[in-house]
Amino acid sequence: MRAGTVLAVPYQVRTARVLTALALVLVALAAATLALGDLGLSPADALAALRGDAGTKTTFVLERIRGPRLLVGAGVGVALGLSGALFQTVTRNPLGSPDVIGLGAGAGAGVAVFTLLVPGSVPAPVGAVVGAVAAIGLVYLATGTGFSSPARLIVTGIGVAAMATAVTQYVVAVMLRDQGAELAAYVVGSLGSRSMEHVAQIAVALVVLVPCVAMLAHRLAVADMGDPLTDALGARSAQTRTLAIVLSVLLSAAAVAVSGPITFVALAAPHVARMLTRAPGPNLAAAAVTGAVLVVGADLLVQHVPFLEGLPVGVVTGGLGGLYLGYLLTTGWKRTR
Amino acid sequence: MNRTAPEQHRPGITATGLTVGYGATTVLDSLDLELPAGAFTAVVGPNGCGKSTLVRALARTLRPTAGRVALDGRPLDEWRPKHLARHLAFLPQDPVVPDGVTVHGLVARGRHPYHSPLRQWAPGDDEAVAAAMAATGVDARPDVPVDSLSGGQRQRAWIAMTLAQDTRYVLLDEPTSFLDLSHQIDVLHLCQEMRDRGRTVVAVLHDLNQAARYADHLVVMRDGAVHAQGAPEAVLGGEPGAALVRDVFDLPCEIAKDPQSGTPMVVPLARP
Repeated sequence: MRAGTVLAVPYQVRTARVLTALALVLVALAAATLALGDLGLSPADALAALRGDAGTKTTFVLERIRGPRLLVGAGVGVALGLSGALFQTVTRNPLGSPDVIGLGAGAGAGVAVFTLLVPGSVPAPVGAVVGAVAAIGLVYLATGTGFSSPARLIVTGIGVAAMATAVTQYVVAVMLRDQGAELAAYVVGSLGSRSMEHVAQIAVALVVLVPCVAMLAHRLAVADMGDPLTDALGARSAQTRTLAIVLSVLLSAAAVAVSGPITFVALAAPHVARMLTRAPGPNLAAAAVTGAVLVVGADLLVQHVPFLEGLPVGVVTGGLGGLYLGYLLTTGWKRTR
Repeated sequence: MNRTAPEQHRPGITATGLTVGYGATTVLDSLDLELPAGAFTAVVGPNGCGKSTLVRALARTLRPTAGRVALDGRPLDEWRPKHLARHLAFLPQDPVVPDGVTVHGLVARGRHPYHSPLRQWAPGDDEAVAAAMAATGVDARPDVPVDSLSGGQRQRAWIAMTLAQDTRYVLLDEPTSFLDLSHQIDVLHLCQEMRDRGRTVVAVLHDLNQAARYADHLVVMRDGAVHAQGAPEAVLGGEPGAALVRDVFDLPCEIAKDPQSGTPMVVPLARP
């Protein structure tokens, strides 16, 4: 894609087709989210809403119930997809994601500590972000080399994640009474009862962070050939890696703040995107849209499928992610034999 | 009294008091070196003598603990990374082939130094990539995945990537290792062709005879220092050459003439 000599961004035909198809899937899932069930909107309601003369029920559903839920889900999905793509590209670890190095577990522990041990101190989303940032900060310090060594990062992160989980379990075991429901929503991510305030939070985060990711994208495109060659091409491997991990953590933290830790999306979205586009490199746009499709799709399941109904969406993404991880490991294992 | 020209007019790569190490180990200690511009220089020496460390430091992928490297008389620290990458290309010993990348995709990555976040295509990209692929002979099948190529073809694709960078200086760390003999000669011919087009080529080589035959200038290293340097004939020729190989490689030998090129050829002595 070129506009004169000022703007020129290369793309591959297959990637463009995959993006179009994913966008259509997302639109279909969004339509289903709004239309299905007792509170579902009819096409006539939707058209009326577009014209601006919707009835009270339609407005209520759009602005208070399904609308925020859908928008938060899509925003969180984009954030998680990008977060995972950034993280996997610069750590060269296909199983890497901010979840793996303790971001989600840290967020859960943060909420547990702030809402149960010192109730009323800070709201749950703030506790989640504080916990997430503390966990990642601990990882940064404990590796001894910051974010520059992928292997140390992951091993240290797994340790910190285990510690954070232990903190949560301790707090739950000691304190769990009636605040269990609020805690549960932040230990397992959920999109239930979101408001337009949550939509605004994730939207602001994306408006700020996505351009930063875009500015880094051309360097990430040459960051997968080993550090010496990346440096020789002028793409500053160490700086690029640190910036990418910081952006990845911020995107995941923004998602955690509005929905709690929705697991495995950051891990799986980049894989699915790569499988679909078959293009080398970070596949950022495809990973972002895939993330949105995964979250909105999973949330549709917990809204309407018997046995899943009413569960936090994180339970479904976790379950699907576990299956996918098993599939990855077994196919990878077969290939290396 | 003869005064030499001011330093800023001296072209080429110079190292002054260059000291480089990994952690507490010092590999190069206060090394001074000046590489001739427009020539093909081969860096040779026994395993562990610091050859690779030297080219990595010259390419600024390793930072010296003391001393400095200058390009065209200007210290490397003063070059912006992308600007440096338009003048100096470096191919490390073991680059990672990205998953699923095609030959054309890999070669096109060499244009990165000319791009910016909003402009990921620059005038001259298409020509530079096509010329690099033609010069290395990988232009027949541009859409083949690099990881399906043989070792020799793969190395050509990597060299094409560094050529697409369109730099005056090209540094190669052991470009012939792990290739069979015909592909080794192939890469050495490529080095000569790059030099013939006006580039300064520096390659770490293992084979002394190939270095003497194909390069214009030899740098012989031992224990992190430059032991000798100069034209192949001056460094390796005759009895002094045999003495140098005995010293540096601990190998008793005599020096013959290469029957094709007449350059010095190291012939190890038979065991008594």
